[in-house]
Amino acid sequence: MAKPPADDGPAFPGVSRRTFLKTAGVGAAATSLIGAAATDGAARILGPDPVPLALKVNGAARTVTVEPRVTLLRALRNHLDLTGAKEVCDRGACGGCTVMLDGKPIASCLMLAADAVGHEITTVEGLGSPEKLSAVQAAFVEADALQCGFCTPGFVVASTALLASNPSPTLEQVKEGLSGNLCRCGTYPRVFEAVMKAAKQKAPAARAAGRKA
Amino acid sequence: MQQPPSSPKPEAPTVTYVVKAGPASAPRTMEVHAAEGDLKPWDLDSKLRVVKGRHPRLDGPLKVTGRAKYTFDVSMPGMLWGKMVRASVPAAEIVKIDTSKAERLPGVKAVWTTEARAVRFAGQDVAAVAAISPEVAEDAARLVEVTYDERPYVTDLQKAMEEGAPTVYNADQVPGSKNAPVKGNVVGPQVPRRGGVRGDVAKGFAEADVTVEATYYVPTHTHSPLETHGVIAKWEGDQLTVWASTQGISTVREGMAEFLGIDRKNVTVITDHMGGGFGSKLAASAEGSNFAGVACKLAQKAGAPVKLMLARDEEHLCTGNAPAALMTVKLGAKKDGTLTAIHHRSFGTAGIAGGAGTGGPSGNLYANTPNCLVEEHDVFTNAGPSAPLRAPGHPQGAFALESAMDELADKLGMDPLDLRRKNESSPVRLIEYEAGAKAIGWERRNKKAGDTAGPRKRGIGMASGNWYVIARGSGVGAEVKVHRDGSVEVFQGSQDIGTGFKTAMAMVVAEELGLTPHDVTVHVGDTRWPQGVGSGGSNTTNSVAPAVRLAAHDARTRLFAIAAPLLGAKPEDLDAAGGKVFVAATPSKSMAFRAAAAKMPNEVVSAVAERKKQYETFRQDLAGAQFAEVEVDTETGNIRVLKVVSANDCGFPINTLTTESQIIGAMIQGVSWALFENRVLDRTVGTMVNPNLEAYKILGAADMFEAVPIVVEVANAGNNTSAAGIGEPPIVPTLAAIANAVYNATGARIHTLPLTPDKVLAHLVRRG
Repeated sequence: MAKPPADDGPAFPGVSRRTFLKTAGVGAAATSLIGAAATDGAARILGPDPVPLALKVNGAARTVTVEPRVTLLRALRNHLDLTGAKEVCDRGACGGCTVMLDGKPIASCLMLAADAVGHEITTVEGLGSPEKLSAVQAAFVEADALQCGFCTPGFVVASTALLASNPSPTLEQVKEGLSGNLCRCGTYPRVFEAVMKAAKQKAPAARAAGRKA
Repeated sequence: MQQPPSSPKPEAPTVTYVVKAGPASAPRTMEVHAAEGDLKPWDLDSKLRVVKGRHPRLDGPLKVTGRAKYTFDVSMPGMLWGKMVRASVPAAEIVKIDTSKAERLPGVKAVWTTEARAVRFAGQDVAAVAAISPEVAEDAARLVEVTYDERPYVTDLQKAMEEGAPTVYNADQVPGSKNAPVKGNVVGPQVPRRGGVRGDVAKGFAEADVTVEATYYVPTHTHSPLETHGVIAKWEGDQLTVWASTQGISTVREGMAEFLGIDRKNVTVITDHMGGGFGSKLAASAEGSNFAGVACKLAQKAGAPVKLMLARDEEHLCTGNAPAALMTVKLGAKKDGTLTAIHHRSFGTAGIAGGAGTGGPSGNLYANTPNCLVEEHDVFTNAGPSAPLRAPGHPQGAFALESAMDELADKLGMDPLDLRRKNESSPVRLIEYEAGAKAIGWERRNKKAGDTAGPRKRGIGMASGNWYVIARGSGVGAEVKVHRDGSVEVFQGSQDIGTGFKTAMAMVVAEELGLTPHDVTVHVGDTRWPQGVGSGGSNTTNSVAPAVRLAAHDARTRLFAIAAPLLGAKPEDLDAAGGKVFVAATPSKSMAFRAAAAKMPNEVVSAVAERKKQYETFRQDLAGAQFAEVEVDTETGNIRVLKVVSANDCGFPINTLTTESQIIGAMIQGVSWALFENRVLDRTVGTMVNPNLEAYKILGAADMFEAVPIVVEVANAGNNTSAAGIGEPPIVPTLAAIANAVYNATGARIHTLPLTPDKVLAHLVRRG
């Protein structure tokens, strides 16, 4: 039987989708703030009623109270009004819901919000604003790497993550890096162009920073 | 091509303009008549400063930062979440819909059930719920119990044509058959609306030295926009506001008013940003679902706003698709390649709907051919109804016609491009042939198909396409407001479905007022603004831009009247550019646009205009030609598309940057259709096997090829901006261009799409 959360211990409660599924329906209530509270790492049971979760989104501490079955994507969209990430296929096939988890791109429709506790979540809104675009975002606008724009937030996040791990990619590496993202309007070539352009702009800056370090 | 007759001369007074029309390399001076008050069309002599330029779209910053609010992103206090329940069987009578368990679920606020009893496809509307969260709504939908009395069904096109096949409709229920003969599930032959019957094909084939005949098949393609269909419905007293993911806010307004029995004036429809439609979002709800009406009823029952967005599987099942088609094309030609006859006979299935014709290209593309017969048949199947998809019927029809043209060229021993040149009637397409052939390196193609060494074979192919200049002649409005601080707004009741329409309208206003597009704020996507059009038929820009230009020109005229005395000149001697109003002959005599606006007697100049009818155009057809290079791995059967060149015309492109984006997008959707896409219905249970985005495969980044758009500017003079449409024409030739390139690479002539590796290998084995 799972223990109720203790008041000390590691920040991440260690609830995975698998442990949740194993224990779901057993019926123990866990209503203290997950993440702010703590656990000793033993299997825990959340829900089925809404539970408060402490998330770190775009550098800010945010609390959502959601049923444990709620995905990270739906928590961001429906509870924090961060609607940049989209639910398109709802099964990890299209990349429309891409956000960064500790700097790595993930499909937020495939992760429970409860599993994101203790991680740094970055959404497209956290990368720039219309008044202050990131280099990748500015390159997308300039190259017309968007049409209806519904897939664009996912592409912007995936492209940003790609350039973070590979600042000077080849065209083939860009294609591979973005192969998890689908676009129906057919913006791919101009997305590639935008990413290559952003890489070129960033590369001198990165080299300069490297020299200083 | 044979020019369709111009519109009859009007009773109303007209103005006459002499314009330099056509492509720059082959100009033609012509007279055009327009309703009084219209402006001279921009033509080859016009010195345009903004229009035809390349401007990044104005809503780009909102879209790349996730700030653009699509219908899917709209939320409001107290909002409920709707979820539809859909028929799980393809044919049945509904015996009972039991919603009691769903109603008892905590958090469920309203339930709707259909009154219809006959189920004709798996995915049809049956019931719906509204609940406090999407998760609870999904739970509730699963608790709705439907009892069916199942009936025989047929989902396969060819099986549906067989005698004794289960009929989708009783004889007296067949929709839209009018005068066409009906036999079982088959309605036809029907002759298409445009083109289709000329001369006598029997005589034409008798005169031919060479004939070819083959049967081609294109499977059902689903539009698969990334934003699914959906609405938020909100009542305030008798006033209804609907946020809709739609290509036609006016259509949604009219459809909801009719369904609910309320006045149109009580319905407002808003579409700020729209996540793709490709023709599937032109109906009030969707072609196979009345979900928007249902959402309005749920909101009424619950006394709260209801958001009802379809899930991905529903998007495949009930929102429309491009019909599958089985097409037999027979061509006859003289030894020199001159076509003597074209016979196109097609059987298409739009599921439970009609409208599966594919004869547009055969009936119109080689319009000099004296003998032509197009016979179309609709075949009903127990599947979701089709919706217009990017040049409806034309990509399928062009796949058949343009594959057959290559087969004819082969039999004649002619270069396929020469065969087309020989039969070409559009001076514009002739220009596109040259531009495209040069860009692809046409001379590099294999002189004999498959004549290359090694297992990975490259080949080059091409195909032509055709579409029409479609525009709303009148009844489209626009309002341009200039404020006394010099800021400018335009209001227009059409919607930007991702084409860049908003930015194009800003460019038209900027051209007239001497500003940059960034100086103009464009308000679209709201039925409270002046009347707009549904975005179908590639008609939005050319229907709306002329009205926007008229309104902007009116505002300009009024500002010039204010500025003229200050500059010591007459209003007609002034010009505007670079944010300044100046004397055209002495540009140093100038004042800032903002300074002129500051002298306005009132706070706002509001210029309202309606589109004027015009009676001639340089051409009423749009041409288009595509060239493709592919590499086929003859050991795996895998096809890689290396490069596609698309040469297209759309009158004057308002924004060349976004025009190119549309061309690129259309060729990508076409390649995706040629290589991958195929809606699969399970014959043993009648439901869709792949209603998702991993098994219904669309082209992804890793499949991407070099896409080269070529825009051939044509001063079409058909309206005061000379604009025509571009969204649809560039998908028309793609399927055939890819198949022809595969043939050139390997010698495998594949008549059935998609061009999957198994088919390539089977053909190579058969060839030995």
